[in-house]
Amino acid sequence: MALILLPLVFSLIAWLLPSAQTRLFGLIGTTINLFASLISVYGFDAQDQLFIDLGLRYVHFSLDSLSYTMIILTNAVFFMVYLSNFKQEITAKKRFSALAFLMQFGLIGVFSTNSILGFYIFWELTLLPIFLILYWFGSFEKPKALLQFFLYTLLGSLAMLLSVIGLLQLTNQQTYEALLAADLNAHGATSIWLMGGFLLAFAVKIPLFPFHTWQAETYTKAPTAGTMLLSAIMLKMALFGLLKWVLPIFDGVATEFWRWPIITLGLIGVVYGALIAIKQQDLKTIFAYASLSHLGLIAAALMLQNEITNQIAIVQIVNHSIVSIGLFLAAGIIESRLQTRDITQLGGIAKVAPRFAFWFAAITFVSLSVPFTAGFIGEFFLIKAIFNAHTLSGIIAATTLIFGAVYMLRAYQIPMFGPTKNSVFEDLSWSEILVFALLIIAAIYLGLSPKCLTDFVATSINQPTL
Amino acid sequence: MDSIVILFITGLLGLFVGMRRQAVLSLSISILGLIFAGVAAYFRGTYISPLASYSGYIPTPSHVIILLCVVSILAVLGGFQRYKQDEEHTGDYLSLLLFSLCGAIILAQPNDMMLFFIGLEILSIPIYVLVGIEKGSATSAEAAVKYFFTGSFASAIILFGIALLYGATGSFQIIEIQSNLAIGIWQSPMAMLGSLFLLAGFVFKIGAVPFHFWGPDVYQGASNAVLMYMSTIVKIAGIYAVLNVFGQIFRDSYFFWIDLIALIIVLSMFYGYITAWKQTSFKRLLAYSSIANAGLMLFALSDILNSNILLFVAAYSFATIPLVVINQLANPTQDAIANWEGIAWKNPLVGVALVIALFSLAGIPPLAGFFGKFSLLLAAVPHLPYAAILALVASVVGVFVYLRLLILALKKPTVQTKQSLSIEQSTVLLLTTLGSLSALYFI
Repeated sequence: MALILLPLVFSLIAWLLPSAQTRLFGLIGTTINLFASLISVYGFDAQDQLFIDLGLRYVHFSLDSLSYTMIILTNAVFFMVYLSNFKQEITAKKRFSALAFLMQFGLIGVFSTNSILGFYIFWELTLLPIFLILYWFGSFEKPKALLQFFLYTLLGSLAMLLSVIGLLQLTNQQTYEALLAADLNAHGATSIWLMGGFLLAFAVKIPLFPFHTWQAETYTKAPTAGTMLLSAIMLKMALFGLLKWVLPIFDGVATEFWRWPIITLGLIGVVYGALIAIKQQDLKTIFAYASLSHLGLIAAALMLQNEITNQIAIVQIVNHSIVSIGLFLAAGIIESRLQTRDITQLGGIAKVAPRFAFWFAAITFVSLSVPFTAGFIGEFFLIKAIFNAHTLSGIIAATTLIFGAVYMLRAYQIPMFGPTKNSVFEDLSWSEILVFALLIIAAIYLGLSPKCLTDFVATSINQPTL
Repeated sequence: MDSIVILFITGLLGLFVGMRRQAVLSLSISILGLIFAGVAAYFRGTYISPLASYSGYIPTPSHVIILLCVVSILAVLGGFQRYKQDEEHTGDYLSLLLFSLCGAIILAQPNDMMLFFIGLEILSIPIYVLVGIEKGSATSAEAAVKYFFTGSFASAIILFGIALLYGATGSFQIIEIQSNLAIGIWQSPMAMLGSLFLLAGFVFKIGAVPFHFWGPDVYQGASNAVLMYMSTIVKIAGIYAVLNVFGQIFRDSYFFWIDLIALIIVLSMFYGYITAWKQTSFKRLLAYSSIANAGLMLFALSDILNSNILLFVAAYSFATIPLVVINQLANPTQDAIANWEGIAWKNPLVGVALVIALFSLAGIPPLAGFFGKFSLLLAAVPHLPYAAILALVASVVGVFVYLRLLILALKKPTVQTKQSLSIEQSTVLLLTTLGSLSALYFI
């Protein structure tokens, strides 16, 4: 219970505290949240399910190992965001702290709720803080780009709302277990439409290929902390929803119908995102399209509904959070010191800032999925699963490895080792090194023993199909 | 009934006390009267009108009266700053408001067509007067005249509908009209025509397309204080009248008019939100938003028994009143949206109330507005699936109307000035914000 409500309490405290203490409070608050979730998971048996009742009529909570994984990921991401932006102006603003904690509350709600209405409510709740964060702290000269982001998300959300209403009307059930038990296959085409509504919302969030146009614009205009929150954890809500809610509930006719369309879109995203990333100048844009490429692969693999693949997808989800925090942190560091992210303006940073060059290289390698990092396990198994299902798709998916190397190495090489254009570059501070180190340690640990994570989530992923 | 008596007596008392020219005294008496009326309604339970010769046919729970009283308290408090400006008339204004509320309570749950019509007129006539309280202003006078003429026109249409129904069924009593219609009379041309006239009158009153023309002009001319009252109370009472009179009487001809209702809903929502998009005057924007919301409310007609219209109108009122209060701060003399720029920075309470109210109107969970919309749509989807889909699409447009206002209000000003709130205004903002936030615990 404390796990769910702590961020909300912190949000209120952050709003009431004087501005001078905000920065420290944010860091302490996120640390407390992280430790609360770690302590809570310590006494939790992976086979178990923990029901939490807050006395609400429509919204119930239950925690299983998948929820726990996502909650810890959320708390870790928020901790990292605070740590990495500790010196930035943004964390000193109490508006930011209040909104960030509110968003954390929403995310934890999404990951822990047990009722479909609760899922929708928390899903939307996260939209409010991110909108205000982007508006107040982003560099949107005109609200148009921001409104575009909002329009896309809202259209998706409303489609999901219709599906939620339809599901409630059709089954008269709203808890997860009851919905699993309800047989939607009997409803044929209706269930296909209902699943389509959910998929539209997820496709906008993930984002899948034709719905991704908000992404690059929003990522580049958002403050670094906002971009991290968006890509490291907010997009994961959609993958989580796909994995935990939609695929098990609509198992059967509807999933069969949507499987290959979604896989196709995911794979188009893999190739398309990578190709665009190769030609970009702006570091954040490159990373945004890289994100499109990576997440398309995860979404495509999830649609195969294979137990092992699903477990590995969790590894890949965690890995993507690590990578996106690291990469956007690097982009943010470059931007805050040189006021530009255009790689044609950058060059020779490695000579003046060797520590930065080292850690940026490390996170680049994690992103390239070299062996012994989590990404290697993730991509290898996901591509293999797609290959087994459909050979040509597997080959297309595998191009991500090659393209990934091209755009990532280009994004690393030109600013770091290109002809010297930036002779002044302040090297990393302790908090930034700490963030990079923690990220790399996590990535390598997961790469060496992904089993600790896959075993932990195995029961809650396998249950629905049993 | 107790509530009506209490309100009426308080209104009379207010007229006498008003002669003492003490604004605060008049205010306290009105508030006390409203509180007592609400408490009386609570203890009375389900409303049974003694004016009708048979026992209560439409068992509307007392929640409606309580909601009407609460919203009136908020409107009186929020508009007090304006009412106390004309010190010699403060008592009159508040008494007019209370009399009109009596009409609203009658209108919300009548069981006799005559009673219903009287309630409608008691509700409307004081508001015609209140709209014209800016005596020096031409737009206010124009609005009052316009509202009076269009309102009378609508009353006449309703009266004509009642007459036709009387011709078809031979009764004014809702229960008898209904039972006569049920045995097949509803198919007679006279009854059908009567139902259409009645529907037209109702649509006129709640201001949905195609009889919405008076809305923007009247809203623009009315003072903020009056706007708070009339944009909420009239809608609440009106939609309850639609449900309890129209929906109940004509439930046998459901399939005859439900498609028409769907058309009205969709047109109102699209027209209201799309037109609101380009408005430069806040009151006109509010008027168009209220047209769209009136359309949304009509969803309740698709399934009278299962719709939770109370939640929707409560959420709508709790979001509209703070916005008008804030408009009072932003636009003391003019009425331009441009003046909203940076208003959220002038006072922390204004900022919070504004964000919550706009997101609630936009229907973003977990605020009250979302649950209102959700419960309406949940009941309506099986009956009007396509209208529900179109309504959701229209509400995306609506979200942008509200977001545009929000973005303007949140824009950080270069020079920060503080603006203090009076006690009544802070109370209203605080209460409505809490109301919008606490929906999760009340559904």
